[in-house]
Amino acid sequence: MVIRSIKRFMLAALVGGAPVALVAGAFVSLSLVLAACGSGSGSVAGAGGIKAPPGVKTPETEPQGGGTRGGTLAVLNHQDFEHLDPGQAYFSIDYEAMYPTQRPLYSYKPNTFAAPSPDLAEGMPQISSDRKTVTVHIRSGVRFSPPVNREVTSADVAYAIERGAGASVANPYFSSYFGSLEGAKNASGGPIPGIATPNSHTIVFHLTEPKGQIVASALVLPLTAPVPEEYAKRYDARKPTEYGNYLVATGPYMFKSNSEGKVLGIGYQPGKSAVLVRNPNWNPSTDFRPAYLNQIDIQIGGDPNVIGRQVLEGSDMVQNDEVAQAIFELAYERFRSQLEISAGAGTNYIAVNNKQGPFANVNVRKALWAALDRVALDKARGGELVTNVMTHFIYPEIPGFEQAGGLAGPQVDYNRYPSGNMQVAEKYLRLAGYPSGRYTGAKTIQVVGSTGSPNSTDAEIVNQTLKNLGFQTKFSLVDQSVMYSKFCGVPAEEIDVCPNVGWAADFGDPQAVLDVPFNGEHIESTNNSNWGQVNDPAINRKMAAAELLVGIQARAEAWANIDRELVGQAVAIPFAWDKQPQIESKNVAGVGDVWNLGSWDYSFTSLK
Amino acid sequence: MSLGAAELLPGAGAGLDFSEGAGPVLARSPGQLFWRRFRRDRVALVSLAFIVFLILVAIAAPLVVKLLGLPGPYVQNPNLTNAFGSPLGPSSAHPFGVDPLGEDVASRVIYGTRVSLIVGIAGTAIATVIGVVVGLLAGFFRGWTDTLLSRLVDVVLAIPILLLGLGLGAACEVRGCLGGHVQSGLGVIIFLIVLVNWTYIARIVRGLVLSLREQEFVEAACAQGASNARIMLREILPNLLAPIVVYSTLLIPQNILLEAALSFLGVGVRPPTASWGQMIAAATPIFNTAWWYMAFPGIALLLAVLAFNLLGDGLQDALNPRIAR
Repeated sequence: MVIRSIKRFMLAALVGGAPVALVAGAFVSLSLVLAACGSGSGSVAGAGGIKAPPGVKTPETEPQGGGTRGGTLAVLNHQDFEHLDPGQAYFSIDYEAMYPTQRPLYSYKPNTFAAPSPDLAEGMPQISSDRKTVTVHIRSGVRFSPPVNREVTSADVAYAIERGAGASVANPYFSSYFGSLEGAKNASGGPIPGIATPNSHTIVFHLTEPKGQIVASALVLPLTAPVPEEYAKRYDARKPTEYGNYLVATGPYMFKSNSEGKVLGIGYQPGKSAVLVRNPNWNPSTDFRPAYLNQIDIQIGGDPNVIGRQVLEGSDMVQNDEVAQAIFELAYERFRSQLEISAGAGTNYIAVNNKQGPFANVNVRKALWAALDRVALDKARGGELVTNVMTHFIYPEIPGFEQAGGLAGPQVDYNRYPSGNMQVAEKYLRLAGYPSGRYTGAKTIQVVGSTGSPNSTDAEIVNQTLKNLGFQTKFSLVDQSVMYSKFCGVPAEEIDVCPNVGWAADFGDPQAVLDVPFNGEHIESTNNSNWGQVNDPAINRKMAAAELLVGIQARAEAWANIDRELVGQAVAIPFAWDKQPQIESKNVAGVGDVWNLGSWDYSFTSLK
Repeated sequence: MSLGAAELLPGAGAGLDFSEGAGPVLARSPGQLFWRRFRRDRVALVSLAFIVFLILVAIAAPLVVKLLGLPGPYVQNPNLTNAFGSPLGPSSAHPFGVDPLGEDVASRVIYGTRVSLIVGIAGTAIATVIGVVVGLLAGFFRGWTDTLLSRLVDVVLAIPILLLGLGLGAACEVRGCLGGHVQSGLGVIIFLIVLVNWTYIARIVRGLVLSLREQEFVEAACAQGASNARIMLREILPNLLAPIVVYSTLLIPQNILLEAALSFLGVGVRPPTASWGQMIAAATPIFNTAWWYMAFPGIALLLAVLAFNLLGDGLQDALNPRIAR
């Protein structure tokens, strides 16, 4: 049973220079960002084929214009923010407050996770032909909120990124996406040689490697939202930084603050409430956000079962964090028009040890894939309303999803039966050298899953399937963070099966989905996120080539090919593409962000 | 009905009681006397019968499940959950409903009896043996032996057992601890139960031995040149049987509850093994939609604990007739 999970993703290993991000976990969530800006070609989004049940909204179907201006929206969340500082934010709940108040260089409109729009930037980034220089021009007329008030310049963006490399901000993405900047290795918060501002409205990134595309893609991260150095410097001098307590805004809204700009205790009471009001310095002609609401009152705390009922039965309210399972059922049965379900909330798969033990044999991996009842696994997560049976690795909304097989996935026999097929499993076990069609190896295999429903339920199904195939298993459930940090993320532990791993990309780019979890170059001795130790030299080479490609279409096709090879080698066994439910009151015209788990976007949501 | 341990001493009257009934004096053994009194206690008899029933169910669980036509505790069936993944309730095929895996709750409650009884009875038995040995030595030899053992008891009693259980359960997960000798699940639970429970028995036994060793029959044995071992085992130990039986019986339900608590907290018996406490824990977040998943293991736990408690009380009464019922 499911408590749908939002929020919280765990950044696992940030490998130096590895361009990608990650998240892990079935309680996973979200993330961000951008995709392929480069060629400026049209979108190749991957949404196709994900259909919502009749009467349920999705971010793709919600009208983004035509709302009524005015009013105050009440947000009832039981979770609190983690970080208000755009240099630190990385949970989806932080992003809900980040994008109405901050303007990164690029951001996504609510209905796409593939095509970023210029936000503070004036146009798409220009990537040089050697892919080692990325140039961005920023808009005129964007001003900071009080008490700073002045116009934003390219130096504010440079400072925002540079401070992210320092210990007091410690941006979790910096080394992943900006590690190829000249001087990034030694960056500690001061100026970085690879970031130049030739004039007040131009910023240029100089790279040591031809990774222009991934740097351009990463410009949707909140890290690129401008920070005024003369104002923030004194707060950044503290460790950790206190800039979040004095946050200034560039977006249509700002946290309520006093005349010195102090937010803490005024517009944000930790654990209790937050208030977003209009930013008087925001100029609508510079922005694509309609910003209908006058104010957003966020209340923090409470029981999600109580909150959910208040929202469904009341008015002017939304819940913008995870919806309780019972409330989801209630909303679906009785308040269906107030329910939104968003695709693109990440993947859930079973990591199997490709390096040693029985699953080093590709046919044994295929046998497990064939035998597994993915429908049952998905049902434990809430059924088909909130999941799709996962058939390959690039997930819905990410470019390359359709090219890699769409919802049905590659039509190989072990992928053809979502409810499992023992005949096919037996065939592969015979191919693996077990003539009876049952696994008869002597070694007991180690299965380490995560406690807490629905993960524990999924883990039990996987364990039973292994037994049905003839395996002797030692089955353990540990806390999810322990599962990653002590067992599944530590190759020396030699765990055979990790049934509860998952991924949500930071970007709407297929590289952000496939690279870290399946590239053999990224296997680490601790905090490893290539949980199955997948290390196929041919696939590694293709990834290295695909990483350098520029342009959505080319990248989508190249990474979709890699996805097909990953399925062909059955490097891991996928079972659920998550979707995320959100709820609103009857008189709220909510617009959710498909790139942020469907979370309601305060800049687009209005009251009826 | 709590009693001082000394009241259970045979020397204080329980063993030789000629006062019962009128008429000619009949010679009866202490066992016969006990049984005459115990069988008049209907509550205790019913409890005993229920416990015997539980033991039979535990031993013959696969047969019981088969006879009842149930699918067994490990049969998962996704067709028994609704579109949202919520389990279906009681029906003729599944009298106690199913859990989120579509497993039959009745089968799992029946198999859960095994865990509770193994933990309750085996854990208590081991603890009792250790406690009796320590108590005998401490009480009989007194002096530095007593000081050492009694301080050890004090130290062990100071250990916060639930916290230790949480810590051990987490630390022993996956790889086991103490070089793999203590594995999470039943191993950790029995280890904990033994660790704590022997101290209670040891204290009681020590106190009784301190008083028994001053009695004339011990002096007599001593005068005949009996060895210390013989005096402890043949003279003193038989006189301790009644209190040991009563107190260990009363420890069993505590231990069953401790297993349930640890399993509830996620450090006890792990799925797929069926345990009442673990079922109750798994049912907690979905109680509103699946009350049966918590109710039936909860009732089973309640009845088992109640039966052992009532049996313990009955034994106490029967072995110590001076206490008015």
